[in-house]
Amino acid sequence: MNIEPRRKALFDAFGDAVKLEHKNGCLYLSGEVGSWDEAVRAGLLCAESGSKTHVVNDVAVRGFTPPVTKTPAFTDTAVDGKSPDVLVIGAGVVGCAIARELARWKLDVLLVEKEYDVSLHASSRNDGMVHPGIDLRPGLLKKKLNTCGNRMYTKICAELNVPFERCGQYLCFKEKRKLPALYLSRPYWLFTGSGRTKVYTYKSLQRREPHISPDIKCALEFKSAGIVCPYGLTIAFAENAVQNGVTLSLDTAVLGMEVKDGRITAVKTNRGTVHPKIVINAAGVFAGEIASMAGDRFFSIHPRRGTNAILDKKAKRNINTIYSLMGTQSKETHTKGGGVVSTADGNVLVGPDAVETPFKENFETSAESIFGTFERQRQSAPWLTQRDIITYFTGVRAATYEEDFIVEAGRSTKNIIHAAGIQSPGLTAAPAIAVRISKLAVKMLGKTGRVEKNPGFDPVRPPIVRPAALCKEDRAALIAREPDYGEILCRCEEVSRGEIIAAMHRPVPCATVDGIKRRVRPGMGRCQGGFCSPLIIKLISETLNIPEEKVRKGTQGSEPLLGPKGGPDENV
Amino acid sequence: MKKELICITCPNSCRLSAELLDDGTVSVTGNTCKRGETFAENELKHPMRSLTTTVRTTFPKMPVLPVRTKGEIPKEMLRPVMRILSSLVIDREIQSGDVILSDAAGTGCEIIATLDMRP
Amino acid sequence: MKTYDVTVIGGGPAGLAAAISAEKEGARVLLVEREERLGGVLKQCIHDGFGIIRFGEKLSGCEYATRFIHEVLKTSVEISCLTFVSDIKKTASSFCLTLVKRGGLEDIETKSVVLATGCRERTARQVAIHGTRPAGVFTAGTAQYFLNVMGQMPGKKCVILGSGDIGLIMARRLTLEGAEVLGVYEAKSTPSGLMRNLSQCLYDFNIPLHLSQTVTEVHGDARVTGVTVAEVDENMRPVTGTEKYIDCDTLILSVGLIPENELAEKLGVALDMHTKGAVCDQKYMTLTDGVFSCGNALHVNDLADYVSESGEEAGRNAARYTLRERALIPVTAGKGFLYTVPQRVDTNALGEKTVFFFRAAEEREITCVRLLLDGNEIMKKTYRHLRPPEMERLELDLNGYKYDNGSGLEFVMEELPS
Repeated sequence: MNIEPRRKALFDAFGDAVKLEHKNGCLYLSGEVGSWDEAVRAGLLCAESGSKTHVVNDVAVRGFTPPVTKTPAFTDTAVDGKSPDVLVIGAGVVGCAIARELARWKLDVLLVEKEYDVSLHASSRNDGMVHPGIDLRPGLLKKKLNTCGNRMYTKICAELNVPFERCGQYLCFKEKRKLPALYLSRPYWLFTGSGRTKVYTYKSLQRREPHISPDIKCALEFKSAGIVCPYGLTIAFAENAVQNGVTLSLDTAVLGMEVKDGRITAVKTNRGTVHPKIVINAAGVFAGEIASMAGDRFFSIHPRRGTNAILDKKAKRNINTIYSLMGTQSKETHTKGGGVVSTADGNVLVGPDAVETPFKENFETSAESIFGTFERQRQSAPWLTQRDIITYFTGVRAATYEEDFIVEAGRSTKNIIHAAGIQSPGLTAAPAIAVRISKLAVKMLGKTGRVEKNPGFDPVRPPIVRPAALCKEDRAALIAREPDYGEILCRCEEVSRGEIIAAMHRPVPCATVDGIKRRVRPGMGRCQGGFCSPLIIKLISETLNIPEEKVRKGTQGSEPLLGPKGGPDENV
Repeated sequence: MKKELICITCPNSCRLSAELLDDGTVSVTGNTCKRGETFAENELKHPMRSLTTTVRTTFPKMPVLPVRTKGEIPKEMLRPVMRILSSLVIDREIQSGDVILSDAAGTGCEIIATLDMRP
Repeated sequence: MKTYDVTVIGGGPAGLAAAISAEKEGARVLLVEREERLGGVLKQCIHDGFGIIRFGEKLSGCEYATRFIHEVLKTSVEISCLTFVSDIKKTASSFCLTLVKRGGLEDIETKSVVLATGCRERTARQVAIHGTRPAGVFTAGTAQYFLNVMGQMPGKKCVILGSGDIGLIMARRLTLEGAEVLGVYEAKSTPSGLMRNLSQCLYDFNIPLHLSQTVTEVHGDARVTGVTVAEVDENMRPVTGTEKYIDCDTLILSVGLIPENELAEKLGVALDMHTKGAVCDQKYMTLTDGVFSCGNALHVNDLADYVSESGEEAGRNAARYTLRERALIPVTAGKGFLYTVPQRVDTNALGEKTVFFFRAAEEREITCVRLLLDGNEIMKKTYRHLRPPEMERLELDLNGYKYDNGSGLEFVMEELPS
């Protein structure tokens, strides 16, 4: 690797403020700059796309201390003394997919997650696209894993009973002269793993997507593209993993590790100390911190925020699939330019944008990002109007400077495996990442003992029943068996009492207002929980047999109600 | 001291300016009729208000019962009456219109339920 | 399959009045309500001021509803609570509804439908409030349900956004129950609620009202720890540099109501984008024959009394409904009006009186409202004062005029020099 050109580029940009060292197969950056953007820029200047010589960026920002990772406020001994074969850190889509994959083997697997539920970071804050991998350079690991993962989706979603639709994606062009190039490109896409394509002229495109902008002159459809509910899938992976014997411990944050002779011997959490044989790092934006704790830091994560807006289901009348305009991709960023997507639940999703940030857990939204996103996407979807917005959300991507995945065993530490830097197309690649990691894990464990297959592994997760989606006969039969399914509590999404009670009894605990929302949708409709949240709180209180003021919206301390209104002692 | 009031006697909602004078009379400006003058006088000398609130019950299906004063009470009695009602707990089945307290804090005013307990 | 003459969807004040009046006409009536009890939102409106016009008494919302509930229970109206209308379709000569309840699914057939589905509250996202998503952000109606139905305190230190009636009522309610209401913020330059409520809910309790200000951000992780407020310009956009942080644990939103018309849309009923409700004639029938609309689903009302009136009319007309030719002429509203209802008049079915409702778009002093038929004045009324939050009711006799195919009624507004 050629260091001198990098040193020169750094000097040109920052003078002596930033120092670069090439050692141990990594590019170490140190020094101090004036802003976060400059620190990230230093890293990007030195990084080579897809390289295995990663940038480790320790450049400090003058006057700025990065925030401390949020951890649960309590401690207990729930996992203290456990000695699992595998400790998986992080219950996002990757961690949960890995845990499920590992359950195919007779292994004691412990999956830990610092939040109160699975899927709360990037895995529930993305557009749910299963990508064809169009803008991924062949040769990159993420391209390969995207192709494999994409192919696995139909089977996995069928097994996990997660709705999945291969609706296709249109790449749209404003210039008619691009048409011949589109035809010629088809073998390329097929050969490089993006699957089958179809060329559309404006007329034929208009027939399929009547509301597309008349500026669009031609388009290329990628048939392998699809839509899934990303947190629904993550929850499904987690449930199937638990169903097959994996232990899931929520509210469990990894605080430190003991490493002796290149091996992790203990992992300290707020709920006790565990002694795993091997550790799998699926910690998302915190993968760098986990790698440091394990004495195996050879990469850096630079978080990147993106905001999406969700439109009323009525806006769905204007779109059938996914489309984005070529050219909406900014040359400055490495993330796709976002698009307009019709989600698995029937809403329209617009976004995301991409902004570098040091705040890994800051999910605040802002008016500027919504406005910017809308203006960009309006070029291919002129019907977009902010008036249709029912909600918006922000996610933070875990990107390495090389902008590729790291799916490999530890370099200095012998019993850790990393699934790090998983940004887009992480959701698509997750099943393939899980298979690869699981193979590495079994190989690693096999060195000290035989690893046998789990003959009782059941790949099928019982579905979440949605009566409103059933045919009349099935729905009537369901209600006859269980009348709670006939009592509608959320009228915007037509969700019944029975579904909410059933959700609370599923393998992954979810008796919070938001946990139930993610599983069966009350609160996701046009009134955003205005009518149903009191009913949900009452039902959680009844089911768990706790006072209404102890029912949580989500995390600890998020009780919406403050207690029964005052008696005579209250200062009225 | 001058007080700014909005008259609520009729939809005109005249904005009044009223002052309690040393001789005990009330000087009113901004009104367009006699009722406004009377309203301002009452507001300054002895403002009256109705109180609507809820009272706790022992019934899980209806943890609070809405009640109101039958008529108006002096404005300064709102908090004392609230305090008394906060200490009440209804343990029998009440229907709309039933009296739950016959004389709230010596105001002479009844407190009545405004919803049936049994639907 | 059970058949009915009239099916009323919604058992709040509008639906109750509609069911009662339809039954009085001899119709076979089904009243469907999705909650466990009848009464609609009035069950949680424990404050008074209801029924002044209709009963000449100052009742609480619950009492007002109770009167109608007692009355409907005396009739032969079939009442089905905890029942949700999952689907509605127009058939050749009637309507088919799919009802979902604990007892199962049921399809019913009905000659006419009265949509009395009320409205929902505008949400934080719809007024572009950004920041974090902690617990403690509630729309005023939801907070009202927590306090008045569940008996639970939703907050201790509250900021209220929106000076609409619900927000003002909650300001007083929370204060009486021992919470601290730090202030009411209103993005417009004039308050949105009834003057009576401004007086008795804010001024009485010294709760400050901040006009031309809005909440732009919510702060806090698990629970609200504060909000950012800012001044707004003439276009109601926050002005940078005017931001102020306010320490609080609850944000209550009273930023508007939106008529609920999902079922209307399923039927393809034409909606008016000004009211967000259906387009209807003076009989409260929409442009879809046999479908009637009333109450807050038609347009957001201030007084339950008018809601009941519209329900009563709609129910009566739904019972009398037979398919016949309508001679609809449009009713338009000129500059100065937010909207007028009804948007059509059926000149084939003029009664003794025709009732119109309207709202002014801005606060006005002495204003003259005229009704023109094909350009000629047929009515003139002078108002001392008009405010958008205070809906006006006009009762006119439209008989005796010549109506043609292309005729039209137009309301015009002129502010007169004071």
